[in-house]
Amino acid sequence: MGLSYKMRLVILALGICIMAGSGLLLKGLLVPDSFGVYGPYRADAIAENTELPIRHGTNSSCYACHTYEAKVHKTGLHSTISCEFCHGPWADHTDGKKKIGTLPVKTNQDITTLCLRCHNTEIKARSQQVIKTVAMPGHLESQKVKLTHNCNQCHHVHAPLKYIKRARQITGLTEEKI
Amino acid sequence: MNPIMMLASKASESIGASTMLVSNYVFPNDLHVHWSMMIVLYPYITGLVDGAFIIAALYYLFRVESLKPVARFSLLFALAFLSCATLPLLLHLGRPERNFNMLLTPSPSSAMAGFGYIFAVSMGVLVFIILFVYRPVLVELRKTSKGPLQFIYRTITFDSTDLSPAAMALDEKIIKFLVGIGIPIAAVLHGYVGFIFGGVKANPTWSTPLMPVIFLFSACVSGISAVILAYILIRRFKGRPVDHGCIVTMVKTLTLFFILAFSFEMLEVFSHTYLKTGYHHMVEGLLNGPLAASFWLWQVKICSVIPLLLLGVMGLMKLKASVYNLLAAVVSAILLLQVIIMRWNVVIGGQLMSKSARGYTEFHPEWFDKEGILAVIVVMSIPFIILWGLSRIFPFWAGENKT
Repeated sequence: MGLSYKMRLVILALGICIMAGSGLLLKGLLVPDSFGVYGPYRADAIAENTELPIRHGTNSSCYACHTYEAKVHKTGLHSTISCEFCHGPWADHTDGKKKIGTLPVKTNQDITTLCLRCHNTEIKARSQQVIKTVAMPGHLESQKVKLTHNCNQCHHVHAPLKYIKRARQITGLTEEKI
Repeated sequence: MNPIMMLASKASESIGASTMLVSNYVFPNDLHVHWSMMIVLYPYITGLVDGAFIIAALYYLFRVESLKPVARFSLLFALAFLSCATLPLLLHLGRPERNFNMLLTPSPSSAMAGFGYIFAVSMGVLVFIILFVYRPVLVELRKTSKGPLQFIYRTITFDSTDLSPAAMALDEKIIKFLVGIGIPIAAVLHGYVGFIFGGVKANPTWSTPLMPVIFLFSACVSGISAVILAYILIRRFKGRPVDHGCIVTMVKTLTLFFILAFSFEMLEVFSHTYLKTGYHHMVEGLLNGPLAASFWLWQVKICSVIPLLLLGVMGLMKLKASVYNLLAAVVSAILLLQVIIMRWNVVIGGQLMSKSARGYTEFHPEWFDKEGILAVIVVMSIPFIILWGLSRIFPFWAGENKT
């Protein structure tokens, strides 16, 4: 190896350039074809995502079979709440043709826990005008009911004021605070 | 106390105090600190690289002769830490192998891809600076070595034993050129780390153009401190003398950078306080609430004011060399702590406030987590193992101290 030191450094510099160049070549080979068509992502990913099985339905999907719940839900204050919000994904229950599983239905204390996810006064991010919030057990005390009561003992879960309005109609009583 | 608070405190008593982490309202996706200790280590490690590189650059580019004893060591120190700079980031990722995707398809909207490229360039430049700086030593070692070690020496000397004046003059030019471009690259490398945080618009404590500047100066502080401490400790351990002139120059440089770093850190807090911008009430609550101890007590009072006073004493009073060196080691150790606490307060502290601008959460490090305390210890010890490995090939002090 009779190369001069200078020559060796030139070869080294060339080697670095070749490495950088082959890096670019490798980049060209490894980047998917559809990358960058719409933006810095793989355009084919959009088509692939449309092929994925549907997990969620709309409320209409549920109303098609659950006609009684539909009637109550549509008339109540919860009419804009998605069924899936409390019951879980549509695809866990049906494949669109027949029932494939049972969605969990909350009972007892779990009902109160579920309600307080939205209706808890401690959640200070929510406006009283949008969602009525209460503090527990203060709400139960002010309504003069047992502290062991669950929300659904007074409120219909699909139409929260259904029973309360009906009770007012029957008794003729009015309350300022609910 | 309202009923909910009573319930909550009862619940916390039954489950344990650690459940009371949240004050006011915190969005559910803000409860957990997603960027935890590995992301604290990332700017800390790159910072150490930067500061060490500054010391080497002062000698090789600006010919500050008194730094000669540590010039080579600081280059190797920088290399050992630079080779681990991405390790905490990769550990933080759920799918580390996907980092290559980011590098393959960089886009102007991806700040992290930019870091990958800057890191690669700085690594290349640093490696070649070391190879050219060490070439005369390596050529000598090649002659005396055998087997695989000789092969390594042949490779890293480009299989040339040419130490003629012409070749050495060429080396000198190459070193100057590489160190010359190395300084802006090192500044960009760490300024970029600060920019990555500063660029997070959603976080009011990070989103400031001062962030890269603060990170850069504190990087220099940590790197120089690390070199001072490591130099003193290694020399003492090996029973060799410590070059006092070298320590004095490093401490003076450290003083300058620390004054700048501390001023900018405080300037940021004061300008937030004076401007009272949109989220000021949150930042103020953060610094005086969850961060009261780690920011005001540890970062500012203990680890900044005390070193500042010590550096003042060292700069203004005449001290015996041994006392000066001891103080230098103490100050360096405190400043190393200051910088890591500062990184902690920025990275983790910045995530303790919810985007709701109403509540704060808390962070409790775990021991055996993927990003836990044990992982931190392992990650921080790897550069020292690499440094030891490098010392087997590149002698730290060869030809400089024949004592």
